[in-house]
Amino acid sequence: MIYDYIVVGSGMGGIAAGLNLASNDKKVLILEKNSLPGGLVTTFKRGRFEFDTTLHTLANYGDEEITGDLKKILDKWEIDVPTVRIPLDIEIKEVSSKKDFIIKGEAEDIIVQLEEEYPGSMEKLKKLLKIVKEIHEALKVLLDKGKVEENEYPNFYKFVDLMAIDGLNLLGLKREVINKLSFVWLNLGSPLNKLSFIDYAEYMYKLIFKKEVVLTCKSLEFVLNMINKYQSMGGKILYNSNVIEVTKENNLMILKTEDGLIYKAKEVVFDVSKRYVFKELIKDAAKDIKKLENARTIGANGVIVYLGLNKSYQELGLKHHKYLLVDNLSSDINVKYMMNKNHNTIMGIVPNVVNIDASPKNTTILVLEKMFFKDIFKNINKYDYQKFKEDMAKEMINSFEENLGIDITEYIEEIEIATPFTIERYTNNINGSWFGYMRKGYDNSINRILAYPDEVMDKISFVGGSSLFASGVDNAFYSGIYVTQDKLNREVKHG
Amino acid sequence: MDKIEKLKKVRNDIIKDYSGRDIKDTNIDTLVKDSKDLQYVIIKDIISETKDTKSFILIPDKSKGTDSLEPFKAGQYISLKMFIDEEYATRAYSLSSRPSLAKKGEYRITIKRVENGLVSNIMLDNMKVGDGLTISRPMGEFGYNEIRDEKNIIGIAGGSGITPFMAIAYSIIDKEIDANLTVFYSAKTKDDIIFRNEIESINKKSRKVKFVITLTREEADEYLYGHINKEMLEPYIKEFNTVLMCGPKTLYKTMNEILMEFDIPKKCVHYENFQVDYTPSEIKKYSLKVILKDDLVETTCKSDETLLVAMEKANIKAPSMCRVGICGYCRSILLEGNVKMIGSSMVKAMNENDYIHPCVSYPESDIVLRLDI
Repeated sequence: MIYDYIVVGSGMGGIAAGLNLASNDKKVLILEKNSLPGGLVTTFKRGRFEFDTTLHTLANYGDEEITGDLKKILDKWEIDVPTVRIPLDIEIKEVSSKKDFIIKGEAEDIIVQLEEEYPGSMEKLKKLLKIVKEIHEALKVLLDKGKVEENEYPNFYKFVDLMAIDGLNLLGLKREVINKLSFVWLNLGSPLNKLSFIDYAEYMYKLIFKKEVVLTCKSLEFVLNMINKYQSMGGKILYNSNVIEVTKENNLMILKTEDGLIYKAKEVVFDVSKRYVFKELIKDAAKDIKKLENARTIGANGVIVYLGLNKSYQELGLKHHKYLLVDNLSSDINVKYMMNKNHNTIMGIVPNVVNIDASPKNTTILVLEKMFFKDIFKNINKYDYQKFKEDMAKEMINSFEENLGIDITEYIEEIEIATPFTIERYTNNINGSWFGYMRKGYDNSINRILAYPDEVMDKISFVGGSSLFASGVDNAFYSGIYVTQDKLNREVKHG
Repeated sequence: MDKIEKLKKVRNDIIKDYSGRDIKDTNIDTLVKDSKDLQYVIIKDIISETKDTKSFILIPDKSKGTDSLEPFKAGQYISLKMFIDEEYATRAYSLSSRPSLAKKGEYRITIKRVENGLVSNIMLDNMKVGDGLTISRPMGEFGYNEIRDEKNIIGIAGGSGITPFMAIAYSIIDKEIDANLTVFYSAKTKDDIIFRNEIESINKKSRKVKFVITLTREEADEYLYGHINKEMLEPYIKEFNTVLMCGPKTLYKTMNEILMEFDIPKKCVHYENFQVDYTPSEIKKYSLKVILKDDLVETTCKSDETLLVAMEKANIKAPSMCRVGICGYCRSILLEGNVKMIGSSMVKAMNENDYIHPCVSYPESDIVLRLDI
């Protein structure tokens, strides 16, 4: 059996690639190394709690009223995802100054709130929204046609080579306003002086114009819905199939799995990073690929603590969907703190606040995340790993309790800790990174998009969070669609 | 030059200046690569603990590529993988050794003979020093959790359920765990007490660990008599307690009733899932079709044995670890037929998508199973 396409990995990118290829009547096989699909988007059970691993809010989905691109694609295949649209609801506290503030409501509410605090901001913020929208439209044209006309999208050209901080300064926004608006940098894994204005604008576009939604089902149900659809379109998936070698023979790609089986295809789509592929699977990497890989910065990794608490969130005194503790509100200063093991930046998520069914009645799930911009795990060995991770989790819980003045420890019924080791062992994600490659200067998503036509390879392509559109569930998914569609278009062109 | 072209050039120029050397592993990359699912070990020593229980000291089999043993948390188990008379079999055994010894390359497992048991009898009767074994890496959630648990641990052990408590006791003695432990250990007779000398020696030396032994079928001067009861526990219950239990299900049931009287919250009670008990109303034979990737294997299964056992008897190398429905390692998809699943812990979405855990699934009709190995 020779497949048209074999997809390695069933993360968001791999599933999307599979769906798009199968719906185009291609013979597709997904090889997944684990016994479940989804990669980083999955659900695990401890006691009476079901924890979603990484998908806490879904971007670019929207609802019937404001339909995001992700929803449009899934709707096309009649993949039903139970979701509910949520307003922003996040308490942010700067640990050093003990100052805290709450971002709550829709974009308009936040603009009004900022205008009250910093008069004169409103006009500039409205201008920012306009630019964000124009950039989003320009990006669509760029992806569709391969180029953007300057006279049609002047703001795209004006901002395309700026980092986010420079663009925001150019708009004349006060430092305080920028800091209050920039909490999103942690979701993108790059401080505003490394993050491209275009990447920042695209993220803000989705947040402001498409809102965020949360799944009212568990992540795994969402993933299995997509897999079921993929299979119903004739796609095939094999689990416990860890690809260990990829070679080319007579114009065919030969994939060998750990259990000694061989699969053949005309094309391979990797839903793992280029780095992993050229380090582990394809032995004779060209020099320019090695140069690219040595040039890139691996994104931040970190520790996630999943807590099942035996009280309702109201009883625990948790009011908001998200909490963010930072050492310093300014991202470029804060990122320096985050190069050390002992920093105070912690993100807390309470899914119950937006989804009553997140855990059994009178219980709460709390997820704490802490990430690092230096490889603080570089000296850990397997014997001190366990203690290291438990100590880290303890510190995170204590810090969260102290800074918010609430008690958590007493109510912990279940606890699970995910480290970079956990993440890499499960997904092969480089260094257990949460973001694949860091969006950084010349390696932001916009730069990858511009370089894409020149970096396209024969017979192999890359999708997922480490690829074209960088991290994020919707980006990973959309990469799977875009990259495979590009391959299909090329097939047609070359007959 | 156009801004866009300039941006592309900047990227290319930066990349061009980098080294074309091989891509290096990070420390985490290396740790992941070195952490193997399977470990090859040699039996270094066999110790007779009671008339029907033996301990096996295991060391790495370097000739097979296992250079060191994976560390474990007190309470974890390994899955022993065996191939006996054309049948494939795995069994989960708690590690009963001092966790700190793993670093020095030593594990201990302790196995009690099970009547008509396939693996236990081979281990007790046929295995000798120098023989090789294949085991999994340490697995399982059972044990003390510093963040979750209280400082006063009450252990409840029935029969060979004593094994994980030995590791927990040593973790306390070695100051890896900062807590007090009292283990109530119920054995049938004096001669059934596993680790008798070891327990006596710990009781003498440690101020933090105490074993209280009670015999259920024999009265003896130095031990308590009867099933573990409220009066036995009372002196050791503090304001905040964590209870860890390992033993047969009947023990859990009676203990839970007793614990209710002490007002110990449910969140402070943890169980090691020890065995699966199920007796069907009648014993029937069904056909079993197993899809393995691109192959199909046809065999039979019986209503009084799990699908995992049926597959192993047919020499199908089905993945498995805990064999009590918890770890999810044997996860398969039921394409056709009905099963009775006993005590399986599964995410709702899996249930809804016909996933089953064959290790605790008893057939109730002809079965078609998709086993993705």
